[in-house]
Formats: sequence, structure tokens, C-alpha cells
Amino acid sequence: MNSDLMDSNDSQVTKIQKYIDRMPSLSTTVTKVLEVCNTPNASPNDLNRVISLDPVLTGQVLKLINSAYYSLPNQISSLARAIIMLGLNTVKNLALSTAIISTIGKHDSFKSLPMDDFWSHSICVGVTAKALAAQQNIPIIEREEYFVAGMLHDLGKIPLNNCFAAEYVQALQLAELEQGPLIHAEKLLVGIDHGLSGRLIGEKWQLSDTMIQSFCFHHDPASASSGNRSLVATVALANLYANIYEIGSAGDLFPKASFLLDILDIVGLTWQDLGPLYNVVCGEIDKAQIFLKVAEKDRNEN
Amino acid sequence: MRIKFWGVRGSIPCPGPQTVKYGGNTACIELRFDDIDRLIIIDAGSGIRELGNYMMANDLPKGSIETDLYLSHTHWDHIMGFPFFVPLYLPTTKIRVHGPVTHEVDDTLETIVGGQMTYRYFPVRHVELAANIAYDHLKEDRFDLGDGITLTTKYLNHPILCLGYRFEYKGKVFCTSYDTEPYTNIFCTDPSDPSYDEGMDVEGEVVAKEQNQVMEQFLEGADFVVYDAQYTQAEYEDSKVGWGHSSMEYVVETAKRCRIKKMALFHHEPLRTDKQMDDLAKDYCCSGEDGGPEIFFAREGMEIIL
Repeated sequence: MNSDLMDSNDSQVTKIQKYIDRMPSLSTTVTKVLEVCNTPNASPNDLNRVISLDPVLTGQVLKLINSAYYSLPNQISSLARAIIMLGLNTVKNLALSTAIISTIGKHDSFKSLPMDDFWSHSICVGVTAKALAAQQNIPIIEREEYFVAGMLHDLGKIPLNNCFAAEYVQALQLAELEQGPLIHAEKLLVGIDHGLSGRLIGEKWQLSDTMIQSFCFHHDPASASSGNRSLVATVALANLYANIYEIGSAGDLFPKASFLLDILDIVGLTWQDLGPLYNVVCGEIDKAQIFLKVAEKDRNEN
Repeated sequence: MRIKFWGVRGSIPCPGPQTVKYGGNTACIELRFDDIDRLIIIDAGSGIRELGNYMMANDLPKGSIETDLYLSHTHWDHIMGFPFFVPLYLPTTKIRVHGPVTHEVDDTLETIVGGQMTYRYFPVRHVELAANIAYDHLKEDRFDLGDGITLTTKYLNHPILCLGYRFEYKGKVFCTSYDTEPYTNIFCTDPSDPSYDEGMDVEGEVVAKEQNQVMEQFLEGADFVVYDAQYTQAEYEDSKVGWGHSSMEYVVETAKRCRIKKMALFHHEPLRTDKQMDDLAKDYCCSGEDGGPEIFFAREGMEIIL
């Protein structure tokens, strides 16, 4: 085991590892997941979209696709690829079986962070990371990985929020009081931060190294391996962008300006380059909300 | 290798005066390695009943039956003959059943195949079968089957998890490639559609092309391929895209590209009559005398020796 993990409290690690197995998807998306997956002629676009709008579901589906169950020779990090290779029905089944878990546990899945704000933050980082990838002229086919990494970057907060709810509330309060980064308050009061917690999820789900590094190092992209540094820095920049513009919230309210300059340097962009993104990002979030709310509305009307 | 067809039809058995020539039983292929006395069966469609009877009359007198059954997938037409495979009722029979399992509710291959043998469907329960039966959840991989036989498995494009098989023995290659259809970009390609996503569209194109190439590598240079050709291209395009079956036009072209020596068109549409098959044969089948692949419609009872 890695030295960071050995330094951490073993019982906390064990508690998180146990929780990961029953981690529910977000109730923000679950109604639409069930609707799409139970539609006999669900469109591949809708299936891809509804899964990708939920960071837990995306991670769980990728976990199953890359598991020994299929023993595929190469790691699959994109849902579109999975849908073509394994078929629509297989991915529908995987999503359904995962979403059903969330209907059991959704009421206590978010104890201190508001779930809808967390979801908005996640999608903002996903959409922004993908848009930043386009600005860096990353080929279209590789941009989805930026979206997924951005969407999933804060997954580590979910177990902390659930397994150590009281301490996590204190950590959120401390970060606010000090006007400092949440990750330090987490380490101080919970004893384990969301980077490490994210790594535990990534390792347990056998996600790609790129994905795990973006969970661990989006507050410190310089520590990412050279092959992943650019993507991790892009996610870090997208995360700062979401926090600065206060689009959603995952509890990190006080981004450090000096850190921003370092990341812009790694990514090779200026803050001015990010100006045109605002309308794109807000437009994408609105579209996603409309897509998800359609199901909610239909259900209420019936 | 000696390959014999005991069932060639897709979807459902269709016995009757109009299917006498090509046969009405669903998929079952016997693969014999005479020099090493090994028997492999591919699929347990309704055709396996006759194969079982043949084995009782011809194999059993020479000693107890031992065989491997490889299921392409667990759709009903590929497992429906299993309860009628008489060697299962002998305590001396040893059979290993291999096949892919679609992720549904953590079912195992044993519960999926054996599930048809409960009192509500059949008078004998699976647990009452006398034979020694072992189940093996098969994935995409390469296997050494012993005696110089190797097997490569490959996921195909069908609505549930389905495997193609590539058997190699003494320099000869025999492949099965059913039930399957060509990979296509299934994502929306119309930019004016509200659900259009450029990323999905581009990735869909790339992955489909790449998977078709992987499929062709799997079939490359085979001495004999049994290939799904349930439809004509017109039928396929009209209403069968996404059903998991190929067109005759597509597989004929694939055989040429992959330098396949001999190919049997397989998994015949149950509505197809002998007369219609004979007419289609004029368009799609060829003797291979021009140096290209020899192509024919699989017929029940037909035997190919490699």
C-alpha cells in the first residue's frame, strides 16, 4: 500500500472501502436513468448522456466494464466505446443495476454537502474541462476523457461526507472560517482528504491511472505523472473556474489565486482565454438540467 | 478437423416440407478431432437432439462420453436443445459447458442454461441430470485446450454478450462468427437533431471501424468460417439493423477481404424456404474456383473436413 495511505488512519480507510461498495448514484439523475434504461427503444445518445451526467454511475459502469467479468484486453474509459463494444443492452443493464442501489440509499447519501450543488459543480467541471481540451486542440475523440475526469474529480468527497458526517461538517465550517482550501480542513478534522478517498474509489473500481490521478492531484497537478499532468491540470483549472464563478458547489469556496497562475502555466492558457467559456458552460448545465427534469416532471404529472 | 452441421437455422426450429433440404433445426455444430479422439460441440440449439442420438448409437459403444460444449450465447435458439441431449442422462457422461454470461442479475451460466430444466418448463430438473456437468463462464481470451488445440474467443456484436470461436489445430483454422452484425456508429449523426453530440458521433465512427477491423483480424486467413448471414442486405437495411445478424452481401465481402478459404452462410432466417435458399445461392454462393473463397449455405447433415 502507498505510504500516504499507510499514514492515514487504517480504520478510516477500511470504513471508506466498505462504503464504496454500496455508494449510491445521485438522486438528481436516478429518475432519468430508470426512465431511459426501462425504455425498450432507448436511444444510444440518451443512454450515454444519462450515465455521463452522474459521476457515481459513470464510475460504477466503467468499473463493471473493466472488471474481470468481461476481461477486455484494453482499459475502456469512455461510455460511447463501451456502448458500441458491449452493446446497448449490456450497458443498460449495468446502469440499471447500479441505479437501483441508489433508490435504496439515497436519503442518507449526502449528509453535509447539498447534493444538487455537488452535482452542478461536478458537471460544471466536466463541461469546462472538455471545453478547455478543445481550446488546447486536443482531438475530439480524446475530449470525452476530460469530461469524465472533470465530472468524477470530487468523487472522494462522497464517502467522507457519509462516513464521517459530523467531522465533515466541521471541516466545511473550518474552511469557511479560515477562507482556505477544504482539502486541508479535511485532513485536519477527518484525517483523510478527498484526494486519498478518491484514490481508494479509483483503485477499488479499477479505473484508469489517468482518472485516479485526476482524483488525487486536482489540487496539486504538478505531482501528477508527466503523461497525465496536462489532463489533471486541465481538470484543476476547470475546478477553479467552477469555484471562482460559483457554479454549483462542492464546499471549496476560496480558490487560491497563486495556484491559478501555476495551473494556467501548465495548461498553456491565459485567464482571458477562459472568458468565452461562461455561456457555453452555463448552456450545457441548463441543457443537462432540462434533460434530467423531463423525467421528474413526467412522473409528477402522472 | 471434421465439422458437421446438426442445426443451421436461426431464431426458432421450422420443420416442414419447405425446409427439408437445408433443415429446420436451430444451431448445433459438431467438431471432431478424429486422430486424438476429441469432440467439441458448438451450441445446443434443437439440432443437438439428433447429435445426442447419434452419439448414443456410435460413441457410447466405444466408451463413456466426454465432450466440451461451447455456447455462442444463451439466447433460446442456442440452448433450447440442451434438455433433449440424451447423453446428459447417463452417469458416465462428462460434459463441460462453456459460454458467455450477460450481466443481468448475477446469474451464472449454470442457472441460465439449467434454468430451462425446472418442473414448470420440463419434466426433469437440472439437478436430476445424471451426467457430470461443469460450467465455465467464458470471456474474450486465448486458451490452450490440450492435444495441440488452441481456442481464441472474441466478443461479437449482438444484443447480448455473444462469443465467436477460432479453433486452431495442426495449422488449420476453423471459426464461428454468429450471431453478429457489423459494428456501426449507433450514435446520432445528424447535427440538426437536438440530441446530437459531436464527441459521441466521432467516437462512434472510430470505435465501429476499429471493432470491424478487430473482427476481421479474428477471421483472417481461416480455412473455414461459419458466418451469420440471416438476411439479405435489403432485408437488413429495411428493418433489421440492431438485431444482431449480418447480411449475405456483407459477409461475402468480408470473406474476400479476410482471405477466408471456405465459408458457410449460417443462421438462416426461419421464414426462408428451400426454394428461396436455392435462388439466393445463385447470387451469393460460389465454388472458389476463381481463387476466391468457396461460399455455400450450411445444410443440416453437411460435413466439412479440414
